[in-house]
Amino acid sequence: MLNFKKIRLMTKLAVYEKKDGKEDIYLSKYYKADYVRLQVLKSIITATIGYGLIIALIVFYRMEYLIKNAVTLDYKLLGTYVLGFYIMTITVFGLGALILYSMKYDASRKKLSRYFRLLKRLEKVYNESSHDS
Amino acid sequence: MLQLLELRERIKNFYQRYDAYLLPVVKFIFAFIAFQAINKEIGYDERLKSLPIILGISLLSAFTPSAVMVLLAAVISVLHVYFISPILSVMIIVILMILYLLFARYTPKYGYVLLAVPILFLLKIPYIIPILLGLISTPVAMIPTSCGVIIYFLFQIIKSAITMQVNISIEDIIQLYTHVIDSLTGNRQMIMTVVIFSLIIMVTYFIRKMSFDYAFEISILAGGLTGILGFLISYLILNQSKQILSMILGTIVSIALVYIIHFFKLTLDYSGVEYAQFEDDVYYYYVKAVPKVTVTVPQVNVKHINVKSTERREFSDPDVDEAEDYGYDE
Repeated sequence: MLNFKKIRLMTKLAVYEKKDGKEDIYLSKYYKADYVRLQVLKSIITATIGYGLIIALIVFYRMEYLIKNAVTLDYKLLGTYVLGFYIMTITVFGLGALILYSMKYDASRKKLSRYFRLLKRLEKVYNESSHDS
Repeated sequence: MLQLLELRERIKNFYQRYDAYLLPVVKFIFAFIAFQAINKEIGYDERLKSLPIILGISLLSAFTPSAVMVLLAAVISVLHVYFISPILSVMIIVILMILYLLFARYTPKYGYVLLAVPILFLLKIPYIIPILLGLISTPVAMIPTSCGVIIYFLFQIIKSAITMQVNISIEDIIQLYTHVIDSLTGNRQMIMTVVIFSLIIMVTYFIRKMSFDYAFEISILAGGLTGILGFLISYLILNQSKQILSMILGTIVSIALVYIIHFFKLTLDYSGVEYAQFEDDVYYYYVKAVPKVTVTVPQVNVKHINVKSTERREFSDPDVDEAEDYGYDE
């Protein structure tokens, strides 16, 4: 015989697993520190590439000037500027990613706890039905 | 008014029931308009403009996630520009990559905004995006909106740059390049548009969050007014009074459209029919879960709900106590 209580629970679980749950369950495989660290690393790498592209655009824009003054340029100062802005950029993006992804992880944990509560109920229903038969 | 409300219920019902089929159709229409607009604006390559290709890619983007549609649109735009001037297409790729790597990748949910803003700019109603996003999301939406604005102005600049004489000599390339960068970084209208759109999102969002009657409706109006005032000031500063009329008309149309969307609440309490599959030791289950219609207008809805719940009771198991189940619906 069909157990409607069980079906209702399983439907709720299945719908969650299909939509929001997919990402939440994926996230639950990581510890918070590991997940956040990975995302911060990713953000720093993409920010580095983006920064490199911007520098490339600026260099190309100032090409004429750079070639003309190639000998007399103060490369030390130039390098300090590039490095300084780079450190500022990755600090901003790293910290931003740290906050953003910590919040995201906590939010997904909250949703996941509801999922586990439903799972526990399902287990109870299973045990009851096996008692009956 | 009653008829209108009844119509709303009917449309909502229809939407919830056939959501699985409606979504691809809507996406197909949106993709078709988007690709047509791209072709009309920068359609240099005749091969990409043929109808079978447009229909094909529109169909493809109808059944894939919205990110694919955005990517396809970017690829097609770059290909069109590549047909005329490879060097400009490289520049577009670099600037799009910077926008993606530094900003857009943090808001993957709003990828479609990047495409929608330029397209709606072409249709003269871009104001719909900041008002709508202020209404349904958080101020984070400022990031993709700003990226969308930058992309629109980038392509406007590219369009004007393409009309310049393009030779292969290095000097010409550098001249073309400096022209594009100069007009992108010195584009005061673009910067003002970014600021005003962000303001609209903030104003709409914070007024919607306040707790007084009709907060939603007032926030739509306030967002629209912010836009009109902001653009009025910016156009007067930039001496572009010709655009004022079309801006005001566009804002009014945008407000009306957002209000219609809000009235039907298609985006706000959106929940469609769910199909779920699972199994236990004895059975395979193929379940179709239909959400109960939320009650907003009692006169219209009473008969609905009664019909629904009696249907449900017939299938329920009388031995199971259901009362405790309902405590779990958040």
